Amino acid sequence: MKRIIVEYEKCDGCKNCSAACMQAHRETPGTIYDLDLTDPNNESRNFILKDGSGRYRPVFCRHCDEPECVKSCMSGALCKDPESGHVFYDETRCGSCFMCVMNCPFGVLKPDTVTQSKVIKCDFCVNSGGEPSCVASCPKKAIHVEEV
Amino acid sequence: MKYVIIGAGVAGIEAAKTIRQNDPAGEILMISADTCVHSRCMLHKYISGERDEEGLDFTEKDFFRRYQVEWKKGIRVQKISPDAKEIYLDSGDSVSYDKLLIAAGADSFIPPVGELRKASNVYGLRNLPDAQAIVKEARQAEQVLVIGSGLVGLDAAYGLLERGKKLTIVEMADRILPMQLDARAARAYQERFEKAGVRFVLERKASQAVCEADGKIHKVILDNGDEIPCDLIIVAAGVRSALACLEGSGIAAERGITVDASMKTSAPDIYAAGDITALSGIWPNAADQGRVAGKSMCGMNASYTDTYAVKNTINFFGLVTLCVGRIREEEGDQVQIREDRRQYKRIILRDGKVEGILFQGNIAGGGIWQYLIKNKLDISKIKKDVFDITYADFYHTGQRGTYQWVSE
Repeated sequence: MKRIIVEYEKCDGCKNCSAACMQAHRETPGTIYDLDLTDPNNESRNFILKDGSGRYRPVFCRHCDEPECVKSCMSGALCKDPESGHVFYDETRCGSCFMCVMNCPFGVLKPDTVTQSKVIKCDFCVNSGGEPSCVASCPKKAIHVEEV
Repeated sequence: MKYVIIGAGVAGIEAAKTIRQNDPAGEILMISADTCVHSRCMLHKYISGERDEEGLDFTEKDFFRRYQVEWKKGIRVQKISPDAKEIYLDSGDSVSYDKLLIAAGADSFIPPVGELRKASNVYGLRNLPDAQAIVKEARQAEQVLVIGSGLVGLDAAYGLLERGKKLTIVEMADRILPMQLDARAARAYQERFEKAGVRFVLERKASQAVCEADGKIHKVILDNGDEIPCDLIIVAAGVRSALACLEGSGIAAERGITVDASMKTSAPDIYAAGDITALSGIWPNAADQGRVAGKSMCGMNASYTDTYAVKNTINFFGLVTLCVGRIREEEGDQVQIREDRRQYKRIILRDGKVEGILFQGNIAGGGIWQYLIKNKLDISKIKKDVFDITYADFYHTGQRGTYQWVSE
């Protein structure tokens, strides 16, 4: 399967990846130039976090080999695709119980901020050709896609 | 090899899947009282009318065909004979097995109060037939009494509110959701339910209930003498493992079937998983037990190790709560609270470790807290406000780009 490999030493915390993710998943039409970064409907699926010493720690969904989110899903909304190996989320099946959020050991998942009824989760930009927008936008090449 | 699985809940389904992945040629037979595969966590959405039977199915499309599982539905197991390696069904048939998994779940517990067990308008909420019966009975019911304000009681109330019923909920404790929440977080839900029209009677127990001529209970008398009129009663007082089918089998059981880490019972070639083991009452753990049992039944080495089960998520009226670990404060705890208009967060710390969290309104990224609590990681060296701790503080990347936890 393909996974986004993170070379965290290269990350300078610019958050282009987060902006690209918000743009890729926005529901309104438009380009990155008119993306409203303050609209809570525009949420990033990746997070550039800092540890106690201020070092950048990019957190991206691993589409785990044994995904805890899938294992805890009681509705069948989260599935590991046998072909691509990626973990996909079907909003229409989701029961909004958020046990997936509880069980992701890396804290990647969250309920959507506005309605608290669906899960905000990386989809590997499958609807735009499967080339993750975050990777394409990283100026430091701190993230890249690799067959693992 | 012939595998027989009793039960079509998540433990049984996950076991069947796991067996098929590891034994492509084996025969798998599933026998269940359930006639529809359904997620018990979504029964309230059936009661409310948001979903139909099909909408409760949690399996992938064509599950039984895809994994070549034969399914006998609507059938109960009456007896198990480990010596003859046979099980006897209420249809009069018997079925032989090489490996047997008992994943028959649990049944609602109706306490022996008055004539609750005898009345025809008293229901638990555990299975789809319970939800179906509640919906049917609710058509001619105006006033509904829910006994118990745990997750199941509130689920039932939530569903029936959507159908416009008048609801009263009686709870023994001084707050709702007493197992999961502190007073502050419980009040937030209570207020929302009250706004929707629910009346709560706290710190009270049902003490008398008598069937009338129509076989139904039309009023319940509480321990202070108050009378609650009702046409439909839902009892949410916990569950008991469905152990009836074990009678005479010699399979060891206490509250639930006794199993070792590989989910093996005391009888040869018989395994158990899910709520019938009484190891935990929550979905992810039942699913895990099913997978471990499936592997063990295929002769592989597997053990159920991620046993941590003191965890819950709650979502009513769009207010989401995550609670993991200890809820009750104890002497010597260090309790930290962060709150604002959108969220209430409380963390119980002891000796540099997190022992319990309660997050309401904002649970984003909350999964790390389960890991911190169950693995008893020391966080005292992290130079951050405890609420700002994230996976970044334990960050490590391993082979193939996996994330790992490293604690300094």
